[in-house]
Amino acid sequence: MLSIQHIRKRFDDVLALNDVSFDVANGQILGLIGQNGAGKSTTFHSILNFITYDGQITWQGHAFTAQDFNHIGYLPEERSLMTKLTIEQQIVYLARLKGQKARDIRPQIDDWLARFAVKGTRKSKIGSLSKGNQQKVQLICTLIHRPDLLILDEPFSGLDPVNADLLKQAILDAKQRGAAIIFSSHDMENVTELCDQLVMLRTGNVVLHGTLQDVRNQFGKTELFVTTDWSTDRLAALPGVASVTVRQPGQYRLHLTAADAGPAIFQELTQGHYIEEFSQQPPTLDEIFRLKVGEPHA
Amino acid sequence: MVLGPFLMLGLTVGITYVSSRSNASSQNIAVIAKTPTLRQNFIAENPSNIDKQITTVSAAKQALHQNHLAGYLVLTQTDQRLQADYHGPKALSKGLKAQVQNYLAQTQQVKNYQQAKLTAKQQRLLQRTPKLTQHIAASTGTANLAKTISFWLIVTMIYIILVTYASITAQEIASDKGTKIMEIIFSSTTAVSYFVGKICGILLVILTQIAIYLLGGWAIYSWALSRPHLHAMWTQYHALVTAILHNLLNLNLLYLLVGVILFTLVAAYSGAVVAKAEDASKAAQPVVMLGMVGFFATFPFQNNLDALPVKIMSYVPFLSSYFMPMRIINGTVSLGTQLISLGLALLTIAALAGYIGRKYQHLMLQTDSHSVWQHLLKRR
Repeated sequence: MLSIQHIRKRFDDVLALNDVSFDVANGQILGLIGQNGAGKSTTFHSILNFITYDGQITWQGHAFTAQDFNHIGYLPEERSLMTKLTIEQQIVYLARLKGQKARDIRPQIDDWLARFAVKGTRKSKIGSLSKGNQQKVQLICTLIHRPDLLILDEPFSGLDPVNADLLKQAILDAKQRGAAIIFSSHDMENVTELCDQLVMLRTGNVVLHGTLQDVRNQFGKTELFVTTDWSTDRLAALPGVASVTVRQPGQYRLHLTAADAGPAIFQELTQGHYIEEFSQQPPTLDEIFRLKVGEPHA
Repeated sequence: MVLGPFLMLGLTVGITYVSSRSNASSQNIAVIAKTPTLRQNFIAENPSNIDKQITTVSAAKQALHQNHLAGYLVLTQTDQRLQADYHGPKALSKGLKAQVQNYLAQTQQVKNYQQAKLTAKQQRLLQRTPKLTQHIAASTGTANLAKTISFWLIVTMIYIILVTYASITAQEIASDKGTKIMEIIFSSTTAVSYFVGKICGILLVILTQIAIYLLGGWAIYSWALSRPHLHAMWTQYHALVTAILHNLLNLNLLYLLVGVILFTLVAAYSGAVVAKAEDASKAAQPVVMLGMVGFFATFPFQNNLDALPVKIMSYVPFLSSYFMPMRIINGTVSLGTQLISLGLALLTIAALAGYIGRKYQHLMLQTDSHSVWQHLLKRR
C-alpha cells in the first residue's frame, strides 16, 4: 500500500501541497484530479522523491528504499524518449535501470508492441516513430517490468479513443495482478470508469477524497432527469427547482435546491400524467469538478 | 574526432611528399664539364640535387627554360686553373655554393701540389690545419631536448583532451536538463549512481581515445623502425625518442587521467547548473576557461621548472594536472611529493563527485530554485 500522510511542500512563496493525505491499497486505482497547478505533479514528484517535502510517504509500510524504486512504473506528463535508440534498446535500457535482465525483457517486446499496436519493429528508431507510437513505446517502458506501483501523470493525454481503451485495459490488468495505481487526469469519464477512489486537489489542498459514490453522495441527489410534455417554464416553477436544462426536446434536467424536493416534484409530475422518465441522481464527477473549482477559496 | 590526429598526420606527410616530389626536379642543377673526370668527381662528392642526365649546355639551357632545372654549373680547366660558372635565375644556395667552393679548392690544391713538385713531407706540412673540437655532453643535450618536447607534448595533450571532453560533457548534460527522460531515469535509479555512471562512461570514451593514440603511435613507430631509409634518422634520434617516451609513459599518464576526471566533473556540474537546455553551448565555457588558465600558466615556466610557483601549483587540484607533470619531466620531484599531489587531486574528485551527485537530481529536474552560491552557503 502507498500511504501519503500530511505532505506539505512549499516553493519559495507558493504553498504547492498543504497537508495532503491519502492511501492507495494494492489492487486499487486512485484518480488524482484538479486544475492545472493544483499540485498533482508535485504529489507525484514527492512520491518519487524528486523533491524534498514535509510529511511522510511510505510504501508497503516503510519509507521507500532504492530497491523499491525498481518496482515503480512512472509515466511523466510530457513524453520523452531517447530518439537515437531503437525501440528495443530503449525498452531494455529503462528495464535494466529497473533491475531487470535484458534476456528476460527482450522476448516480451514483440508481444507488447503487438498489444499496443505500435507501428514499427523492435529495430525501429524511436525518432522515426510518430508521436502517438512514441507514446505507446513509453507506456510499454512503464509497464513491461510489471511494476507494483504505477504512477501515471495524464496517461490518456494525446491518445485517441482506441489507444485509450488499450491503455485502460493495461491499467485494469495491472490492477488485476495487485498493483497499486495512481493516475491524474482531466478526463472525468476515465476517472469515473477506472477509479476505486479519487482525490481532488485545489491549490494544494485536498477538497474531495473518497470512493466515487461517496464523493457523489456528498453532494446529494440534486440532479433530476425527467421526460415529460411539461414546458420548461412550468418545470422551472416547481418548488425546489433551481434551474432547468433541456437535454433533448421533451427531455429535461432539473437541478434541485435540495435532494428532498424530489418526492414532491414526482407527485406533481405524475398527477394524472404518465411520464417516461423520472430519475433522481447525484451530480456527475464532471459537475462536481466544476462545482468545486467554482467555489470561493477557503 | 578520434581519428582526426591520424588523418592530419597522414595528410601532412602526403602533402609534404607530393610537394617535395613536384619541387625536386626544379631544385636540381646540372653539372657540365669538358673533362669527364672533373664532372664525375664533383657528382660523386655531391650526389644530391644534381640532375645527372644533362651533360651539355644546350640541354641544360632547354631544361632551365622549361623550369625543370634551378640552374647549371659549367666546370672548366685552363692552364692548371679551375673555374666554375653558374647560370641560373637565382644565386646558388649557400650550401651548394660552399660545396662547389670546397670541391674547387680541393681539386685546385691537388693540381697545385702536382705542379709544385713538393715532397711528401712538404705536402703534409702544407696540409696541416688548426683543430677545433667541441666537447658537448651528448646525453645532457638529448635529455634537455627530450624535456622540452615532452613538456609541450604533455601540456598540449592534457589541454586538448580537457577542452574537448569538458565541452562535450557539459553540452551533453545541459541538453538533458529538464527533459522528462531524466524523470524516468531518476524514478529508476539514484542520482549518484546515474551521475557516476555517466562520468565513467565519458571516461571510458576518453580512455579509448588515449588507447587508440597509444596504439597508433606504436604502429607508426614500428613502421618507421622497419623503413631502411629512416634507419639513419632513427639511429640519430633513438636516444631522444626513448627519453620522450620515458617522460610520457609514467605517472604523467595518471595525472592526465586524474585531470580529465576533475575537469569532466566540473564540466558535468556546469552543464547541470545552466538555466535551460538551450544554454548548453555556454555551459562548457567556465571549464574551458579553467583549462586555458592552467595551460597558459605553464608557458612562463617552461625553462624554469624549479620555480616556486610551479612547486605550489603542482599541489593545487586542476592546476596540478599541468604543473606536476612538468616537475616529473624535469626529474626534480620525489615520488612522495607526486603521491601527495595525486592524493589531493583524488580527494578533490571524491568531494566533487559526492557534492555534485547529491545536487544532480534536483539540478537536472529543475526542482531546485537555489543558486550555486546559495547551495554553498546553506546547510541542508
